[in-house]
Amino acid sequence: MYFYLPVALTSINIFIPVGLGLAVGLLSGLFGVGGGFLMTPLLIMFGIPSTVAAATDSNQIVAASTSGTYAHWKVGNVDFKMGLYLLVGGFAGGLFGVQLIKVLKATGNADFVIKMTYVLMLGIVGTYMFIESLSSMRKKKTEEIKPEKESGMAKFLKSLPLQTHFEKSGVTHSTLVPIIFGGFVGILAALMGVGGGFLMVPVMVYILRMPMHVVVGTSLFQILFNCLEVTFLQAYTNHNVDFILAVLLLLGSTVGAQIGTVFGRKLKGEQLKIILAAIVLAVTVKMVFELTLSPALLLSQAGGH
Amino acid sequence: MRKIRSQKSKVRSLRNIFSAVLIALFGLIMTGTNASAELTIKANHDHIKIDFFYNGSTVSVAGDADSGTDLIIKIASPESHEILKQKGKVAGLLWMNTGTINFEHTPNLYSIYSTKKVEEILSTEEADKYVIGYPALSRQMEIAPVSTEDERSKWFNEFVKYKESSNLYTTSSGKISITSKDGKQAYYILTAWPYQAPPGDYLVTVYAVKDKKVIEKAESKVMVEQVGAVKMLAGMAKNNGALYGGISIMAALAAGFGVGMIFRKGGGAH
Repeated sequence: MYFYLPVALTSINIFIPVGLGLAVGLLSGLFGVGGGFLMTPLLIMFGIPSTVAAATDSNQIVAASTSGTYAHWKVGNVDFKMGLYLLVGGFAGGLFGVQLIKVLKATGNADFVIKMTYVLMLGIVGTYMFIESLSSMRKKKTEEIKPEKESGMAKFLKSLPLQTHFEKSGVTHSTLVPIIFGGFVGILAALMGVGGGFLMVPVMVYILRMPMHVVVGTSLFQILFNCLEVTFLQAYTNHNVDFILAVLLLLGSTVGAQIGTVFGRKLKGEQLKIILAAIVLAVTVKMVFELTLSPALLLSQAGGH
Repeated sequence: MRKIRSQKSKVRSLRNIFSAVLIALFGLIMTGTNASAELTIKANHDHIKIDFFYNGSTVSVAGDADSGTDLIIKIASPESHEILKQKGKVAGLLWMNTGTINFEHTPNLYSIYSTKKVEEILSTEEADKYVIGYPALSRQMEIAPVSTEDERSKWFNEFVKYKESSNLYTTSSGKISITSKDGKQAYYILTAWPYQAPPGDYLVTVYAVKDKKVIEKAESKVMVEQVGAVKMLAGMAKNNGALYGGISIMAALAAGFGVGMIFRKGGGAH
């Protein structure tokens, strides 16, 4: 059965968006990512204009992350305090990132910088997470966990003012830490035109030292607010949100997020990390192929980032 | 009153007879020198309504033509311009968007159906005059920025490839079915109307071709329009972005919470 999408001006078999929503929603519930890095290219592949794909995906993520945050909140896995600080940083970073894009566009090599940042970030984050979770899984098998060595980074973070305790996560940090790192992710996310969940999750795991299950819930919470803002701005200024497409996607993704949450509780933190790392690496490989293989079409719709 | 009217109508009918005779005479002279008589066209399903379940349509084009002529049917939207992103190799290795390229005088939709290959039945000059076929389209199009003729033809070909990939450009020959009747030929073709074609007015033209020249043409229209909820949503997205954005967000939040509640009741979670 086909549905016509009034803003994308194209027609789509409803099983495609519902199926995609289900799969990407599952990832949201499991790993606390919005999944834009998967969803947007897939929608473009099915004939949705790139600008509409990105804007509509953010609308859909509002639903999936609401569903996911709700499910994680019920089992006590959302650190609202941490989420709020990250949001403050992320919001400021996003504003700065948008200005940065303007500067890059003026210099004329925006696309190169953006693509390279994207591939490098995905590659570095994926590789680091993969190796780290693999080695910690091995360690657990052979010996009991040694007390964490205090790295230089950790010492520096401890020395910052405004230290405060985050109960849900069981960690103590300066309020500046989530704000600064949230801002950093916000800049990169704006630059790459993605939600940045795949960057925020590692920041929370490795820098903020939060337990993986709380990371997932808290990440979904802050993604929800980011996407609320993006959806509104996209609808208001760019008129790129396709309501019908968003509804079809969220039919799948809200359910997927619930299923993901249930599955996630059955997996260990290390297992979650290594699967997410594998997905991020797979996307990196796909992007490298896209960059090096001759494309079928050399022209595409203008607009978007 | 009656009288006046009937007198008037008498005058009118006399005038009609007179002009009919003139036309007939003119027609006789014309047929003496030229095979042309009457070319007709009718596009069936000429008002396409885009509703919720729209997935493209079909449009049949039919009519009568003189026997001994070849036919070319062109379906096109009005000429406009398109700005597209172009990909190129950066540093000799990586494929990236390298800039934008501007195509002027391009129809968004362009379909050519002919009884035989266009280049076999029509001279280059005539093809250019009526913009029939890709080579003619290429000659009338302006592409910028391109520096050489080679580059120009490369990007024209890429443009056609891009359009064909979304079914907006097609050319084919031999698909028009012809049946002859009383010294004339009736033609008919059923074309697939792509769902990618946006709302608007489209012109359907049939050209009767003889001795490499267009001897007659006839036109019809296809109108594509959004209706009902599709029209309402598209209009709201464009004209009332704030309300549209608000509704989109509210619907997403409600769906997220709704599904969360259902799952709790379903007993999946604690």
